[in-house]
Amino acid sequence: MTLWTEPELRRICEAALHATNGDQAEAVVSALTSGLTRFANNTIHQNVASREASLQVRVVVGKRVGMVRTHDLGADGIARAARSASEIALQAPENPVFAGLPPARPIAPAPSAFVERTAAATPLERATRVASLLRRARERRLSAAGYLSTTSQELAVASSEGVWAYAPSTMAAVETVVTGPAGTAWAERNAMDLGRIDVDAVAEEATAKCLAAQGPRDLAPGTYEVVLEPYAVSDIAQFIGSSLTGQSVEEGRSFVTGKLGRKVTGDVTIVDDPFDPELAPRAFDYEGQPSRRVTLVERGIARGLVYDFQTASRVGAESTGHAVLPTPTATYAALPQHLRIEAGTQSRDELIRGVARGVLVTRFHYTRWVHQLRSIVTGMTRDGTFLIENGEIAHPVKNFRFTQSYHDALGTTRGVGNDLHLFAAGEFMVGGASRRVPALRLGTFTFTGSTQY
Amino acid sequence: MPFAVERDLARRALDTARTRGATYADARFVRRQVEDAVVKNGHVDTIDRSDTFGFGVRVVADGAWGFAASQVVTADEADRVAALAVEIAKASAVCKTAEVRLAPVAPATGAFRSPVVQDPFALALEDRVGLLVAADAAMRSVKGPRTTRANYEIWREEKLFLSSEGADCEQTIVETGCGISAEAVGDGELQIRSYPAAGGRTQNQAGWEFVEKWDLVGNAPRIAEEAVALLTAKPCPQDVRTTVVIGDAQLMLQVHESCGHPIELDRALGWEAAYAGTSFLTPERLGTFRYGSDTVSIRIDSTTPGGLGTFGWDDEGVPASEGWAVKDGVFVGYLMSRETAAALGKPSNGTMRADGWARLPLIRMTNVSLMPGDAGSLADLIADTDDGIYMETNRSWSIDDKRLNFQFGTQLGREIRKGTLGDLVRNPTYTGITPEFWGSCDAVCSASEWRMWGTPNCGKGQPGQIGHTGHGAAPARFRNVRVGVVR
Repeated sequence: MTLWTEPELRRICEAALHATNGDQAEAVVSALTSGLTRFANNTIHQNVASREASLQVRVVVGKRVGMVRTHDLGADGIARAARSASEIALQAPENPVFAGLPPARPIAPAPSAFVERTAAATPLERATRVASLLRRARERRLSAAGYLSTTSQELAVASSEGVWAYAPSTMAAVETVVTGPAGTAWAERNAMDLGRIDVDAVAEEATAKCLAAQGPRDLAPGTYEVVLEPYAVSDIAQFIGSSLTGQSVEEGRSFVTGKLGRKVTGDVTIVDDPFDPELAPRAFDYEGQPSRRVTLVERGIARGLVYDFQTASRVGAESTGHAVLPTPTATYAALPQHLRIEAGTQSRDELIRGVARGVLVTRFHYTRWVHQLRSIVTGMTRDGTFLIENGEIAHPVKNFRFTQSYHDALGTTRGVGNDLHLFAAGEFMVGGASRRVPALRLGTFTFTGSTQY
Repeated sequence: MPFAVERDLARRALDTARTRGATYADARFVRRQVEDAVVKNGHVDTIDRSDTFGFGVRVVADGAWGFAASQVVTADEADRVAALAVEIAKASAVCKTAEVRLAPVAPATGAFRSPVVQDPFALALEDRVGLLVAADAAMRSVKGPRTTRANYEIWREEKLFLSSEGADCEQTIVETGCGISAEAVGDGELQIRSYPAAGGRTQNQAGWEFVEKWDLVGNAPRIAEEAVALLTAKPCPQDVRTTVVIGDAQLMLQVHESCGHPIELDRALGWEAAYAGTSFLTPERLGTFRYGSDTVSIRIDSTTPGGLGTFGWDDEGVPASEGWAVKDGVFVGYLMSRETAAALGKPSNGTMRADGWARLPLIRMTNVSLMPGDAGSLADLIADTDDGIYMETNRSWSIDDKRLNFQFGTQLGREIRKGTLGDLVRNPTYTGITPEFWGSCDAVCSASEWRMWGTPNCGKGQPGQIGHTGHGAAPARFRNVRVGVVR
């Protein structure tokens, strides 16, 4: 499937800006071409493709702002969206804290995040790879569920202030839960290049772990030393990252409020690096502002936050180029979108060998804030939870519920893995955040309940 | 007829699919218009309109499924998308284990419209936003909140469905939602209160009359005062077992998570295993498993007025229906699609819905509601309770991947002492195992306390879809519940 291409997106943006009636205007186009082959019970049961592009027009009249989004990218549809946004801006009450649209600023080149092989993947290619994974599950008398997806995205931002930014990117993903008679296991890979995803290795990891996970035993909830696989660490990174923003500090929701320059975690370093070639790099944000590398936590010390233009203007800071695509109910917000927990020196097996008695967690499930200011999150373990005794995996255990402050848990870091795993924002990467994280060994982690399997 | 051109394109897509080898095909054209507004901290933060229109074609070819979608509504694109859907289905067939079988259904014909008293799109923008400004100002008249928000959403979806079996129906769904919230911060505490429900807003199939009935402005000062008062309220007792009375705005989410999702038959059959998981309500338990106490009856009903799960037909053209999920405590019914119903040898009860034109239909909750009991009013129920905690409005929710172990936090708690509400309690949480929890329910308030709530943010599927689901509930009482997990 071909791209929309830069000239076409530029034409759409310019047509939109031309049709607006206000002091300032901004046009953002996000174009996606996506295919996802979903499987369960060792067969493909959902298999979809879509091609969709949306235009978002923001018009400013004085301190009044209107925003309209549309999928109708014909000439009439573009003009209608621009007119509608202008009408809203003329009618809306003033927003005295609105700082205007940001000016154009130079955008440094970033490594390419686009791989033609991913963009060109056909339904048959996806299905053939899935068939290979399913064959391995069947050979071991196990049942696999999951998906393999390929997505290409083009993002363009233009404004009356001279902003123009365009970047194409791709992402391929495969993930699977493999189920046996009495236990499940998980494996996942994400890459910009579909050719770098070894589906057979994913199948081997998940099926081998699934066989080891059969027949979990009871283990009393309580506080344990843990080794978290990167799948679980990705969840911690997502929650911690969402608190390392200017807006969450401004609103008093962040655990680093009033603590910049002070120790907030153990010996881990967390950065947001839009130029990491392995991390779906992109040099600008959804306001067309240049994205900066930001050190968020340096060896446990809170060092920085990410900002969008509006929040930065409000609190006297400078945009770091981390604005996300506005949602209907959250127009101005920033997030770390290329978050990396820096690698350590130990392999996963070395992390496990250091634990006298603890728990190995493959991944977390259904995690939610309980108390954001204290970064307390609840959730479940899932798809492979094991007791570690004397540095060895002893046996599988039934899944736990945890209720745990994530930054307190990071405060007990005893080891950091040397292998970073890439995690994409979701099945299709619209406006989301990618992460690269290692396995972690944490001194204490509190499990507050357990389930029946 | 609003879909005259699209009807021709739908027929063309079905013809193309059939010519390319599809043994079944359906085409949906969907137009969705949405407006959201947010007033935050005294200022209009967002006025956002969206308009999306496109179509999706779903086919069975070589005994397997394929789906493709596009926003380009032309004859050539209808051909391309239909052909792509068949190509995808044939690719799916490379590792099929069985032929797709669909439970029979009579072809759907006709039209359905949500009943609306006051068309929200017809109201002047300044009137809609003006109400939010007034509600936000009323919250800010109270000293203390750090962040205040007021919002509404108005939503209209028009869709046309045709199938190769002869279905041809149109529907227009109108929804309106609203809410306010206040956050207070101090001394290491962050507290939030929202009204009428959590998650920004509650929503119904209704017009602007739905917003007016909640009296956002009148309730705003109370909400702000409660957020501030919670900062210094006593902590929830830590890790004890006690009686809990749960308000209906929280209990509807408990129904959603611990009953609505586990009765999805695709989940129970393993088709959602990789994402949110499977279900403890497996088919061999249908009709015999003790889900809750005799007091607990939960209904599946896509005809309930106002519910977000109300419609004429689902997105497979199966008509709206009503039935039981749990009757007198026993698990008796699933939410089903044509394909999953066929696996049980049953007809579909019509629960397949898609999030717009670009996604394929999935089994979604329609209106899954806890039916009222005979415990009278909430005041009667409190008066009948010696000792415990009253919990209201969700703050945190999580449940395991078989829907057994859950933990919820609520925004507000109040002690219950000798039949009266006492001091505020902050950071209340409760946790349990689903059938044990519902088994401990000994009282549900009467019909006068029952309200239809809406959750316009239910996630499911890969790629992800957002579903709109309805849940009626009345306050209820549960015995011997573990509370206060947060240290």
